Amino acid sequence: MSATPAEKVSVKNLRFFYGQNLALKGINLPLYDRKVTAFIGPSGCGKSTLLRVLNRMYDLYPKQRAEGEVLLDGENILGPEQDLNLLRARIGMVFQKPTPFPMSIYENIAFGIRLYENLPRSEMDDRVEAALRGAALWDEVKNKLGASGLSLSGGQQQRLCIARSVAVKPDVILFDEPCSALDPISTAKIEELIDELKAHYTIAIVTHNMQQAARVSDYTAFMYLGELIEFDETDRIFTAPKQRATQDYITGRFG
Amino acid sequence: MVDFAMQANPAQSQAADSRARALARFKLSDAVFGWVTRLSALTVLLILSGVILSLFIGAMPTIQAYGLGFLTSQSWNPPLEKFGAAPSIYGTLVTSVIAMLIAVPVGVGVAIFLTELCPPALRRPVGIAIELLAGIPSIIYGMWGFFVLNPFLQGVLGSGLSLFTAGVVLAIMVLPFISSITRDVFETVPPMLKESAYGLGCTRWEVIRSVVIPYTRVGIIGGVMLALGRALGETMAVTFVVGNANRISPNWLDPGTTISATIANQFGEAEPGLYTSSLMTLGLLLFLVTFVVLAGARLMLMRLERRAGA
Amino acid sequence: MKDVSKYRVRARSSSIWMALSVAATALGLGMLALILGSLFWNGFTSLSPRVFTEMTPPPGSAGGLLNAIVGSLMMTALGVLVGAPLGIMAGTWLAEYSAGSRLASVVRFINDILLSAPSIVIGLFIYTVAVAPIGRFSGIAGALALAVIVIPVTLRTTEDMLRLVPTALREAAYALGMPRSLVIRKVIYSAAKSGIVTGVLLAVARISGETAPLLFTALNNQFFSWDMTRPVANLPYVIFQFASSPYKDAQSLAWAGAIIITMTVLALSVTARSLSGSRNS
Repeated sequence: MSATPAEKVSVKNLRFFYGQNLALKGINLPLYDRKVTAFIGPSGCGKSTLLRVLNRMYDLYPKQRAEGEVLLDGENILGPEQDLNLLRARIGMVFQKPTPFPMSIYENIAFGIRLYENLPRSEMDDRVEAALRGAALWDEVKNKLGASGLSLSGGQQQRLCIARSVAVKPDVILFDEPCSALDPISTAKIEELIDELKAHYTIAIVTHNMQQAARVSDYTAFMYLGELIEFDETDRIFTAPKQRATQDYITGRFG
Repeated sequence: MVDFAMQANPAQSQAADSRARALARFKLSDAVFGWVTRLSALTVLLILSGVILSLFIGAMPTIQAYGLGFLTSQSWNPPLEKFGAAPSIYGTLVTSVIAMLIAVPVGVGVAIFLTELCPPALRRPVGIAIELLAGIPSIIYGMWGFFVLNPFLQGVLGSGLSLFTAGVVLAIMVLPFISSITRDVFETVPPMLKESAYGLGCTRWEVIRSVVIPYTRVGIIGGVMLALGRALGETMAVTFVVGNANRISPNWLDPGTTISATIANQFGEAEPGLYTSSLMTLGLLLFLVTFVVLAGARLMLMRLERRAGA
Repeated sequence: MKDVSKYRVRARSSSIWMALSVAATALGLGMLALILGSLFWNGFTSLSPRVFTEMTPPPGSAGGLLNAIVGSLMMTALGVLVGAPLGIMAGTWLAEYSAGSRLASVVRFINDILLSAPSIVIGLFIYTVAVAPIGRFSGIAGALALAVIVIPVTLRTTEDMLRLVPTALREAAYALGMPRSLVIRKVIYSAAKSGIVTGVLLAVARISGETAPLLFTALNNQFFSWDMTRPVANLPYVIFQFASSPYKDAQSLAWAGAIIITMTVLALSVTARSLSGSRNS
């Protein structure tokens, strides 16, 4: 195999609490630069929680807190001096259900860009187009950019949300079960998209669908009850897992 | 490793720089917006303390002059500067009691009809009609009482403007409140609970009496207290029909007055000094009583909500 | 063997109680229909173009309500202009900023009480702070009293409506790196727009008939006046005054005023309802 790529994100001794409840029990794990890492495991194993630590989404809720370190390019993002908005502009997130903003398709994309850049109209148009092309949505919406984002189908809405994340030019994109609300055709499109996106972005994806993890990811982390059971190259996890629990889970004898 | 990342991707670090600058711009407006919302929320407390403080300061002369005797004295003689709150308090209590005696059974009956008996096609229109009626200003109820109910009761009972008439008008006014709150509260009963009672062979009334009402008791009491709070403090619906006589009569068909009616009728022309101060004291009294009743109502309703949420 | 006779008794008692509940509904709706009926009858027969073109008359002569209508509009507008932004901002704080704070539950509790507090007491409060120190009644004082009533209504609906905005949408906006105030202003407000407007409409409906707080703040004015620093005529006060007048002309104007207010309130509530209804579907 090729040499190990650079670590974009390193999770070190991460513990996470919901109130008194320990939800992540000391996680250590890398996200490699421009690779796709999949998180699998039964419901409640902490995989979504881990994702929400990476962009500090948990900060919105007063009783949740994290201990340990998460290094993004060597910098600890859990520190109190970390600016959350800046962090979240660097680490994008796509949610389980599509979340288009209640505004036009164009505005959905332009909005995030305008936050951090002042662009002339023509350049903004280019950026919006590029983002929509990047999310393989351009051909479907180019004639109705003024329509409400809510008028799109579920799969299109989800790609709009991906385009919206991409438009802000993040380093890392987190996908939290992005296909769980979508039909198989839309799911296939999103998976294709993830495959293309990894040329530019470091990607983490939480999924319940084992085949999906096998198809889209380079590395896979299996989690169970708040612990990381096994982390390895996806091929190896799915062909020769070292842990019995991993084996049981991916063969469906578990769960 | 940090250095390595920076060198490897200069375009990215440049983008990060411009982001940081953009962010600094947002910092101020973000903080200002947060503080504006916070201060706005504090105006609620400001209003409450303003009301209590201004009434209390206004009431000071009376409290110093009469002490607790103000509550029990029956005289109300502006020229002699003799003031007592007893008739107003009595009238307020009597009219509210009459209103509750009428409105609670009728209102709960309406709620039972709406949730248990009403054909589905009628449920929405009747429900909406009741909610719209709850929004009609009280002065309209007062006018109706004065021009329609007053002559009618004069003919039937021989007394038109009285504590009783005021109670009836208040009852009609709070009826939509009681029925819509009780209906909402009835709808929090889990269908499974009702179905299991029906499954035992209970009749409709038995289900209501033994399951629906016990389950929602706290909420009903809350709703009734909310309505009571409104009735105690209501001004216009009462002022028109209560008769405005400053006396205590055991006969509810006699005219009387209420705290709010006394204030409404006299404050505009009251002389400064003890007269005005006495009316302020009445206002303070009214506010404190309704505050306690309404606070009780809210606590009851909160208890129900918490259970429904759990 | 089941005791069928016992069941008969139970069934009969159930029917009786159910009949009583139907009777209660008939009685309640009947009374309310009666009120609306006599209001519409007396109101519409009293309405004429003069009501909208002439000033309030001196006792014993005919006239209109123009000055009172304009005065009410001015005070309502100012009251909403002052009260609604405060209420909306305060509701925003409760829904978006205050998670877990003790202060928030206090504010919410007090607000719920102010929502039903006697409005005449609010009149006394504004009299003390805005009439007595200046030495005269004014339209501004009336508008302030109305604003104090607007705040709790808009606060409550704003908070409720913002809480209906899905958490996912909120998180998605934060995930883009948007600062909180922008998330709220651009995303959450636009998602809750119709709900917030509903709240403002309900607040307008609530204050357009409020009488008690105006009695000793705006007072009344027999003449037409744009000057909000002096007493301003208003519909509720005029209705109160004219209804208790012995003259037929005045009483008829009171009915006309009552129907104007009622129709306004009903129209506002129906609009508010259809707005919030269209959002739900």
